[in-house]
Amino acid sequence: MDLPLLSASFLALTLTLYVILDGFDLGVGILLLFQPAQAPRDHMVDSITPTWDGNETWIIMAGVTLLAAFPIAYSILLPAFYLPVILMLLALGFRGVSFEFRVQSKQHRRAWDVAFGVGSLVAAWMQGLILGGLMQGVTVQNRHFAGSVLDIFRPLPIISGITLLFGYAVLGAGWLKLKSNVSLQHFVSRSLRVSAPAFAVFFGIACIYAARIQPGIRAQWASHGTALACLVGLFAIVAGTLTTLSGKSKPAVPFLLGLLLFVVGISGIALIIFPEVVPFSVSLWDAASSSTSQRLVMIGAACVTPVVLAYSAFAYWIFRGKTPENGWEA
Amino acid sequence: MKLDPSILARIQFAFTVSFHIIFPTMSIGLASFLAVIEALWLKTKNPTYLQIYRFWLNIFAMGFGIGVVTGIVLSFEFGLGFARFAQMAGPAIGPLIALEVLTAFFLEAGFLGIMLFGFNRVGPKLHFFATCMVAVGTLLSASWILSANSWMQTPAGVAIHDGQLTVVNWLHVLMNPSWPYRLPHMLTAAYLTASFMVAGVGAWYLLRGKHQDFARRTVALGTAFATVLIAGQVFIGDIVYGTMLKYQPSKMQAAEGFWEKQSQSPAPYYWFVIPDQKEQRNRFALGTPYLGSIWLTHSLNGRVEGLKNTPRELQPRMAMVFYAFRIMYYLAILMFAMGIASLWLRFRGTLFKSRWFLWMLVCMTPSGIIATLAGWYVAETGRQPWVIYGILRTVDAVSPVPSQALLSTLIAFVCVYAVFISAFLVFTFRIIRRGPVEAPAYAEASGSIKNAFRPYVLDSPKRLVNSQFSERS
Repeated sequence: MDLPLLSASFLALTLTLYVILDGFDLGVGILLLFQPAQAPRDHMVDSITPTWDGNETWIIMAGVTLLAAFPIAYSILLPAFYLPVILMLLALGFRGVSFEFRVQSKQHRRAWDVAFGVGSLVAAWMQGLILGGLMQGVTVQNRHFAGSVLDIFRPLPIISGITLLFGYAVLGAGWLKLKSNVSLQHFVSRSLRVSAPAFAVFFGIACIYAARIQPGIRAQWASHGTALACLVGLFAIVAGTLTTLSGKSKPAVPFLLGLLLFVVGISGIALIIFPEVVPFSVSLWDAASSSTSQRLVMIGAACVTPVVLAYSAFAYWIFRGKTPENGWEA
Repeated sequence: MKLDPSILARIQFAFTVSFHIIFPTMSIGLASFLAVIEALWLKTKNPTYLQIYRFWLNIFAMGFGIGVVTGIVLSFEFGLGFARFAQMAGPAIGPLIALEVLTAFFLEAGFLGIMLFGFNRVGPKLHFFATCMVAVGTLLSASWILSANSWMQTPAGVAIHDGQLTVVNWLHVLMNPSWPYRLPHMLTAAYLTASFMVAGVGAWYLLRGKHQDFARRTVALGTAFATVLIAGQVFIGDIVYGTMLKYQPSKMQAAEGFWEKQSQSPAPYYWFVIPDQKEQRNRFALGTPYLGSIWLTHSLNGRVEGLKNTPRELQPRMAMVFYAFRIMYYLAILMFAMGIASLWLRFRGTLFKSRWFLWMLVCMTPSGIIATLAGWYVAETGRQPWVIYGILRTVDAVSPVPSQALLSTLIAFVCVYAVFISAFLVFTFRIIRRGPVEAPAYAEASGSIKNAFRPYVLDSPKRLVNSQFSERS
């Protein structure tokens, strides 16, 4: 069995789950910055409070899977993305503690909400920056990172960061449409009307620019042209539908369309990166750890992941339906 | 000035990991404490237990939150600061940490939401189950992490070919020589931490004459747990000492403050030394004669081995190890004395009235955290200059990241974590000052607890949810 390929598929699964699940959490956080009134802000945070912790755990899973299965890639990518990773971690930290502290503080709740929103925004932007950094390629010599830590602050990563901000905002708005009460619906529709087309436009710009600067991407377009073109077409259609959606659609529709956008986008990115793990220099077989390590992780993942998914779903089911007006404790 | 990246990377890791470990230590202890309290509540239906549960759940939630976000940092920091370590050790410790996340992290995270916010949504038994799952998650998490860290202390089960490490036997990696003793040592430390926190807050209320019922119960429970645990901890600690003496003699040589290959006979027990690493001697030493021989060699005139038995370039810094060890040790003695005193006062029936004892308990509230931190400093500074003992030196493990980047992110970490700890302390003190909410009154006011624990909830959680929604609409 091709263990590195299996590990890479598991890594892709964990990253996808992270982006989708924490994506709407971060999106709600970003939208929080644009909501002036306190009561709706409380309601927005309440909608994600019981499940955010589980959602965020997927990024830890992705990180340690990379360490266990592809230690060479881990030790190249983290120094390469040193600054955005640390900024992301600090931002996620601010956002995480704000969940707990905003509840404790009546007078300063507004300040914690700003910390929450800015934390979400910076974390999302840094994740986009890292994605853009992958797309522009990483300088590697003799299995070590050989570039500069400032390589990341170039146009492509910055555009990709903005793209992801709007993408998460789409997911967040979709989630709020599904979970929030009537008073927020107007805010949600307005957010969707701005973020959905912006996401599509920036995504398009990022795609074209990436292909211009990175020959590796052009090569992938040459070999998987049809598949990538289909994905781009599908992305455009879904984004168009989402933008023109009327406010009276079923509550779940925008969220599902947002998820579809992300699945399509991630498939495209996977097609472009595969079979590298450090684009465009180290393949996943060259970066893999010994097969004993791969096997242990894969056996563990195969046994435990279904259980994890089952009780994560159970937690969502417990908190199903519209978020209560006065929070979960009332 | 030229800054050494290896020093900066070490300071950064030491700072972030020290900050982090405070919160899991509390969470491990408090999660099990909360499970015990909820079990007592289910059994006795005494509302005071529910009051205790709600009160400590608040503090637990904040601590858990900080633990999670500072823990995420660590899973990336192996690569951020120590890429060469990650590359080499990834095949061995990577799978352990991956399994930790799979078996423990998700368990905690999945059931934490129900534990914190599920009072109205699930029946009491399911809620109790969620609390237990969170507690089990913290235990599993500790087991995996202690396994990974113990492997770095006493590596086993691997083979090395041209700098590449492959695992030969997973059982040997997982159950490496120091793990079976270091795990119970850490878990007991976590339980002690929670016991002294709980007892300390209760003692404060008794001294102020407030929340008597709550205070008596928490002081009684906290001191009872602490007494049993410290007796066990002294025993486990002694085994850990013996194990480390066998596998890492230099650590224990540094911890006792002796330099010469063989100390004088009879050996004193040093309480205080000023070591001079360069000259390989103590500039000043204060000790009790004979006690070192008796304590360390169990004889009247035994000699103790000093740090010169270890080649100079492989010695840890004595001052760090010695003082970290002394802090942990003195606190353990103090805890032991408190345990004995609590037994005596309990026997006399004056446990809740002896003001001196209650004041001592208040002072001892953070003792578990300080002792645990000190213990980790013994473990980690005493292992230097190795990061994987005997295999990889710390200076060879550092990432190719410029020192300016390391320094600026270190400053950022210090500032951000300072905000976290200040907010945590402010809110914790506020919760303590406000005191436990009177459980029945609270239930009346919001209707939440009463509803959640009505017997029919057990049969049909759905009915409760529906009825709440209908009330609102």
